[in-house]
Amino acid sequence: MRMTINRRRFMTLAAAGAALPAVSRFAYAADPLAMQAAWINDAEFTGYFTAFDNDYYKDEGLDLSYLSGGPDVIPESSIIAGKADLTLTTPDTTIKAIVEQGAKFKIIGTQYQKNPHGIISLASKPISNPKQLEGKTLAVPPVNVISVEVMLKINDVDRDKVNIVPYAYDPTPLIKGEIDASLDFTTNVPYTIKQAGGVDAHSFLLYDYGYTIFQDTVVVTEETLATRRKELVSWLRASRKGWDENLKDPNAYPPKFAETWFKGTGRTIDNEIFFNNAQKPLIENPGGVFAMSEDGIAKTLDALGQAGIKGTRDMFDTTLLQEV
Amino acid sequence: MAAEQVLPAPKPLNQAPWFAPVRNIVILLVLWEVAGRFHLVADGALPSLTAIVERFWADRADYPAHVWSTLVSSALGFAIGNIVAVAAGILFVLSPLAARLFRGFNVTIFAVPTIAIAPILALTMTGISPRVTLAAMGCYFVTMTATVVGLTQIDLRSADLVRAYGGGKWDVMRFVQLRSALPIILAGLQVAAPNAVLGAILAEFGGGGRWGLGIYLLGSLGRADPPRLWSIGLVATAIAGIAYFIFGLISARVTGASKAVTMTTSLPPAGARTGGQWPSLAVAFGSIAVPLVLWWAFIKLLGVPEMIGKTPWGVIEYLFFLPLSQQAQTRLLDAMGQTLPITIVGTFAGLAAAFALSVSSRLVPNFTRALMPVALFSQTMPLIATIPLFVLLLGRGWLVTLIITISVTFFPAFITLAQGMKMTPRAALDLPKAYGAGAWTELKLVGIPAALPYLFAAARLTVPRALLGVMIAEWLATGKGLGNLLNQSRGYLDYGMIWTVAAASVVLSVALYQIVVLVERRVLANMGMRGSE
Amino acid sequence: MAGAGGIRLSNVSKAFVARGKTIEALRDVSLTCEPGSFTALLGPSGCGKSTILRLALGLEHADGGRVEIGGQTSEKATASGLTGVAFQDSALLPWRNVEDNISLPLDILKRDRREYSAKIAELIQLVGLKGFEKSLPGELSGGMRQRVAIARSLVTEPGVLFLDEPFGALDQILRRQMNIELQRIWTETRCTALLVTHGIDEAVFLADRVAVMRSRPGRVASMIEIPFSRPRSPDLFSDPVFHKLCDGIAEVLHGG
Repeated sequence: MRMTINRRRFMTLAAAGAALPAVSRFAYAADPLAMQAAWINDAEFTGYFTAFDNDYYKDEGLDLSYLSGGPDVIPESSIIAGKADLTLTTPDTTIKAIVEQGAKFKIIGTQYQKNPHGIISLASKPISNPKQLEGKTLAVPPVNVISVEVMLKINDVDRDKVNIVPYAYDPTPLIKGEIDASLDFTTNVPYTIKQAGGVDAHSFLLYDYGYTIFQDTVVVTEETLATRRKELVSWLRASRKGWDENLKDPNAYPPKFAETWFKGTGRTIDNEIFFNNAQKPLIENPGGVFAMSEDGIAKTLDALGQAGIKGTRDMFDTTLLQEV
Repeated sequence: MAAEQVLPAPKPLNQAPWFAPVRNIVILLVLWEVAGRFHLVADGALPSLTAIVERFWADRADYPAHVWSTLVSSALGFAIGNIVAVAAGILFVLSPLAARLFRGFNVTIFAVPTIAIAPILALTMTGISPRVTLAAMGCYFVTMTATVVGLTQIDLRSADLVRAYGGGKWDVMRFVQLRSALPIILAGLQVAAPNAVLGAILAEFGGGGRWGLGIYLLGSLGRADPPRLWSIGLVATAIAGIAYFIFGLISARVTGASKAVTMTTSLPPAGARTGGQWPSLAVAFGSIAVPLVLWWAFIKLLGVPEMIGKTPWGVIEYLFFLPLSQQAQTRLLDAMGQTLPITIVGTFAGLAAAFALSVSSRLVPNFTRALMPVALFSQTMPLIATIPLFVLLLGRGWLVTLIITISVTFFPAFITLAQGMKMTPRAALDLPKAYGAGAWTELKLVGIPAALPYLFAAARLTVPRALLGVMIAEWLATGKGLGNLLNQSRGYLDYGMIWTVAAASVVLSVALYQIVVLVERRVLANMGMRGSE
Repeated sequence: MAGAGGIRLSNVSKAFVARGKTIEALRDVSLTCEPGSFTALLGPSGCGKSTILRLALGLEHADGGRVEIGGQTSEKATASGLTGVAFQDSALLPWRNVEDNISLPLDILKRDRREYSAKIAELIQLVGLKGFEKSLPGELSGGMRQRVAIARSLVTEPGVLFLDEPFGALDQILRRQMNIELQRIWTETRCTALLVTHGIDEAVFLADRVAVMRSRPGRVASMIEIPFSRPRSPDLFSDPVFHKLCDGIAEVLHGG
């Protein structure tokens, strides 16, 4: 664990900040900021690791804490609870929370322009489109069932004809043929299947079948947006720089993190290099990394709308990126 | 005065006592190796031992940091959980009122399925505190119960003696109860140790962070590399196993020196349960209120925001007074309808397995000793690592749920039963032997009836664990019931449902537990015995 | 020695509820033991003789009537170390060795064990357990354990000694020997003794008076004075007068 900003410290800082803004600015050479990642350390977050190691955050005057995620960590919860100032989320849950529970979130950027989630099958028994899922067994992490259901609905596939079972984060049942397909990051699992099972994987992105949503959207609370806008802009700027640097040559950075960020994660550096290459086209955008085009926002809202999640444009705030 | 002859304890006449168990373990290991090497189990999903060892050796640089992190969290949790548990056990024996007031709390802590509480701890706490908390919770009830059992199942005449010299409750505690409870408390610690490790690993697995075997397991799961998963599991087992055997050794030493020489026949003092001037109804109400108040206080003290931290009232509101309440109720009831039947079946199956094993431990001790490592392994091998194997072997139907449930329930039940049979006073066992009875008759006439209080204690241990086993299977294999609902709710950011499922699973668990208690009281009262609850 | 105190039970009654049924253990029992006297309570099983002893020790509370030991309540008397007790079962703590078991009352009464080391050694010698000081109860025979219990009852040099069938588990020969030893010890200490037994010869040999009890409800049926002078020699056991007295008591006991 790199650094956990605990609640009490956060509250103290917040209180100090409110009471004596001038003093606190002098008291801290760098502004503390905490980000909650969505998963354990892997190539999904190389851009941030690059920015860290190249001091991009420091140069922006930020003292960034990085919190790794995990299956029980709901990224949005961390910013509600004040454990982190910003987080990376799946936009469907974020927007659902805003709509249904009145959560005061704003989406200020997106890491992936195209959602990397896809349906992965074996090349020997390929499943190339949603229709072909009918009559098949598909393993889905319980937290992602919502996404799959939306995608099936968009493509007029009867949900009841697909046998959805829990996905326990392990591709073994797929390799052994116990299931026909699984939902996972297409940037990652095909490599594993090739490595572990010696077989080729086949996949299609949910994005290419109407589930046109962002992924790893950068989310903050409205309160943070109002009080710490400057730091957030700095964070976006430094992170973008990190991603640009990393994606210049996707083979370059993962090996540099072997003894630091990726040490002891149980994954291999080759896997991370594959991941980093595969995610490049999903991240890059003519408007720069994190950019949210009006078209992209509209597509995300449209796809979610078909699932009955009625998001609106004002849940996205593109003005910070303009400042960047 | 004629000096009387002291008879030495009879020694087994065959080879060295370690020979048979060691031989059996070796046979088991060879079978495992062969099965793995030739891909006999689930098309190679069960790796061979040598493959596991090779993998471990290749990964050896990864382990120290993870193991250290898990050790720190589980040791901290083990210490905190057990200190609180022993103190609470003493308090409950000294003050029947406190015992009755905290009954609801105790049962609740015990019944909370860890997989339901892990996400809640990850939501509400920071740093390693969820890990320590889960490890401590894994210890509390086991040790607290063991303490209470140990302190109450004493030789009443020894207590009389202390009181006959004007000794008070505390003197009885000091001179008789604490020491005579020691073997049972140690047996409790023995079970608590693997629980602590497993609790810490579960919290690591879900709760984010950088180090810990749970994190390593999560990172490794995606690699479809069974030897890696099994070597992580074996390392976890080794940690728990070492703790288990240390307490086993201490326990054997202590029990050997203090085995009861005669059997207590006294009835418990009549009316002990009516306790004090407090009306039963008020105490019963208090007992229900305590866990709710503590739940409320937990949310308030940690300052968890209202949206993610639901108080008891928040859950009630979610279930009954919101626009979507009707829908929430339907989902909850559907899920409970799927979870409840298999939980009941699993309880009986787990108990039957434990009973069979503990009887066999008396009849064929060597066989059982050989089985012990497997049994312990089934407790400490993180289920998450073995679920793919279970699924490949057993599919995703009721069978996989049942087998997973048995595997998580039978071990604590077995320990409790075996301890009960071991604590049967020598004189009582000697009696059937004196009439030429064999081991089985001896067990049937004395061993098993004398162990009846322990059978009920085992049943009480089993019920909530059965629910946990079912929920884990639902979460990772079958995609049904409460286990699945809990995890889907996290995907929907449905905090109300997360807390509701956690609360519902506790209520379910407590209700089943309560049924066991009622049966126990009736049966034991009829037999003139005293329950340990 | 704490100085012998008397035992006085006045109109004591006691009932138990077990498995839904009420059992009247004692009804309106009065019994007075003068300081320095030796009284035996004789009766069939379940006549409440052990209950009398438990009431006197404060282990049970009477439903009615009064219990006094040396003019104090049972609780005060026991807590002050006035009393000593040996039960039918040795009730030794299995994890304490012989010496430590004998010292248990000292620990409970918070007395300094070191001041009693000579006394403990003497008692171990007295009950014939020299060389077994460090043995655990599990390593001793039943008779040896019972002798430890006797030694334990005497370690506080009690003024009032309660004995609840202390030799019940011993064989006849050993029992005789223990009776003779007990008489010698009692003669030396001259404490007030109350012995619960169902051995008629034991009661007659040891006691000044024998209270014969009947059951359902438990009560004292008759009080018999024992005329033999002290010290009583082992020969008394074969004396015809002794036997006649025993036969007479047996008749009372069996409802004659």
